[in-house]
Amino acid sequence: MSAQPQAMPTVSLQARNVTKSFSSGPIHHTVLHDLTLDVHAGELTLISGPSGCGKSTLLAILSGLQAADSGHVMALGQELGVLGMRELERFRLLHTGFVFQGFNLFPALNALEQVELPLSYLGLPPGEARRRAVASLEEVGMGPRMELRPSELSGGEKQRVAIARALAKEPGLLFADEPTSALDAANGQIVIDILHRIARTHGTTVLCVSHDPRLVGHADRVLAMEDGRILSDRVPSATLTSGHEEPSA
Amino acid sequence: MVALARKTLIYEWRRFLPAILAVGFAGLLQLLQAALVLGIFGSASVYITGSSADLWAGYPGTQSVNLGRSIDSGVEMRLRMDPAVTAVEPFHWVDADWRGPSDTGGVSVFVSGINARPDGMLFAHALPPALRARLNEPDAVIVDRADLDSLGVKVGNSAVINGHRVRVVGVSSGLRALGGVNVVASLATAAELDTDPSNANRMTYFVAKLRNPAAADDVAARLRGNGAFGKYDVWTAQDFARRSQLYWMFDTGAGAGVLFLAGIVFLVGAVITSQTLVAAVIGSVREYATLNALGVGVGALRRVVMEQAFWVGALGLVGSTVLGAIALAIARSRSVPVALDPWTTLACLALGMGLAIVSGLAAMRSLRRADPATLLR
Repeated sequence: MSAQPQAMPTVSLQARNVTKSFSSGPIHHTVLHDLTLDVHAGELTLISGPSGCGKSTLLAILSGLQAADSGHVMALGQELGVLGMRELERFRLLHTGFVFQGFNLFPALNALEQVELPLSYLGLPPGEARRRAVASLEEVGMGPRMELRPSELSGGEKQRVAIARALAKEPGLLFADEPTSALDAANGQIVIDILHRIARTHGTTVLCVSHDPRLVGHADRVLAMEDGRILSDRVPSATLTSGHEEPSA
Repeated sequence: MVALARKTLIYEWRRFLPAILAVGFAGLLQLLQAALVLGIFGSASVYITGSSADLWAGYPGTQSVNLGRSIDSGVEMRLRMDPAVTAVEPFHWVDADWRGPSDTGGVSVFVSGINARPDGMLFAHALPPALRARLNEPDAVIVDRADLDSLGVKVGNSAVINGHRVRVVGVSSGLRALGGVNVVASLATAAELDTDPSNANRMTYFVAKLRNPAAADDVAARLRGNGAFGKYDVWTAQDFARRSQLYWMFDTGAGAGVLFLAGIVFLVGAVITSQTLVAAVIGSVREYATLNALGVGVGALRRVVMEQAFWVGALGLVGSTVLGAIALAIARSRSVPVALDPWTTLACLALGMGLAIVSGLAAMRSLRRADPATLLR
C-alpha cells in the first residue's frame, strides 16, 4: 500500500492492529489477528473469503457496530473506539449506510416510506426528506415502483430499495454485507453495478463483504481474507485503468 | 415523519388483534364489575338516593340506613326551628316478617313508613304521585316490580306483615334494597305494623328539605350536637348514602373481592398483551436492528414500541366502551342493578390504558435483541 501513495485517493477508513476474539465457554477463538488496513474513498472495496474467515466481524468493527478488543479504527478522521453508544449511533446516523443480505424492509411501508424513515431521524424538513428519498429511489432505478410494499417487490428490487435507504442519507461510508447472496445473477449484477456507481459518482467509500466470486470483476480493489488475516490486496485487471484515472480526470 | 407504529399496526392488524382484544375485554370486565358493584351496593342507599331530602337526622353513629335506631320525636321541632329548613318529614323504619299468600316461607322485609302526600320527600324519585296517593288507603303497601316473585304476590293480593294484614296496591321500580325486600307504606300503616312498644313517640329518621341545598354541610353541622332532644345526629343525604354503601361493601367483603378480581383481570390482560407486543417486536427485530445500524437511536425505537402499545390500548378501550354501553343498556332493561359514574368509568379506562402501557414497557425490553451486529454473518 505504501509503495504507491501518490496514486491513492483519500484514505477514509483505517484499521490499525485490530484484534478481535470471541469466547464461548472454555473455547477461545481469535477472529481477527492484528489486522491493519486502509480503505479509500470513491472506491468499491471488496473483502472476499470463505465463511468464518472474519470478514463480517471486520465489517462490524470498521462500521462501528462492534468494538475491537485492541487496536484503533479511524472512520472519516474520527477514532471510533472513544465514542460511547449514543455517539456511535449519532456517527452512524450522519455518516454510514448499510446494506444487508436480508433486505430487512418493514412489511407495512412502501418503498418511498422505507427510504424516508431514517431520513426523518436526521432532522430534515419533510419536503427535503421526501425529495432525497425520491432522488435515491430514482438513482437505483426504483422510481416507478416507489409506491409498492416489499411483498409486491422482487428480491432484486427489495435490495435496491435497501440501497436507496442507505444512500438517501448521503453517507460518507457505505457498508454492504453479502448484498448479492440472496439474488440471482442478473439482479446481483444490477446491485453490484449500483454500489460501484455510488462509489464513483458520490465519492463514497463502499466496503463490500462477500464470498460471491461474481463480484470480483466489479470491484476497484479486492482483499482476500482467511483465518482473520488479509492474504492478498489486489486491483482486478478489468477495472485497473478506470479505477485509478477517474479521480484525476 | 413516517408513522411506522401506526402503519405497522394497520398492516399487521392480525398480529396485534390478540392484544387489542385483551385490553378490550379487560376494560369491559372492569367496567361491568364496577357498574354491578355500584349498582348493587348503590341500592343499599336507595332510601336516600330515591328521596329528595337534603338532610337526614338519625341515631348517632348509624353505619347504614337499614341499621337505624329510633330517636325522639322532638327532633322534628329542632329541625323546623332552623330558618334554612323548609320542610321536615318523618321516616318510620320497621324490620318485619312477611307471609305471602303463596308458599314462600318467611321473608324478611323492611317496611318504610312515609308521608303519602304528593309533596312527600321520601321516595320522591321512585313513586309517581298517583301511586303515592294510593298509600292513603288503609293497610296499603307498594313493592318493587322485581320483588313480586320473592314475595309470592301479585298486585291486589293480600299478605301478612308482623301478623297484620296488608294489601299490595301497586308496584314501582327503583325500590329494590339490599339485605331485604323494601315494602313502602304510609306512616299510619307502618305504625300499625311496628310491634315494638318502645318505639311509641319515637321515629327512626327525620328528613329535611333546605332552602339552599348547596349549604347542606353547614346546616347539618349547625343542627347536630344539641342534647335537648336526646341523642341524634344530622348528616347530608350524600354523606349518609355513601356511608351506607361503604358499610355494605366492606361488611360483606365485596370490596376486597372487587379489588382482587380487578387485580386478576389486570394481570391476565397484561400477560396476553405483553406477549403479543413482544411477539410483534421480535417479528420486526431485524428491521429495528437495521434502523439502529443506520443510526436511529434505541430511544427512538422504544418510542415506536410504546406508540404501538398506546394505540393497542386506545383501540381496545374504544371496544370496551362500546360493548360496555351495550351491556349496561341491556342490564338496565332487565332491571339488573347497574350504575356507573364518569369518574369510575375514567378509572376503569385508565386501568386498561395502564395495562397497555405496562405491556409496552415489557415489550420494549425485547428490543435489546435488535443488535445490528447480529445482522452480519
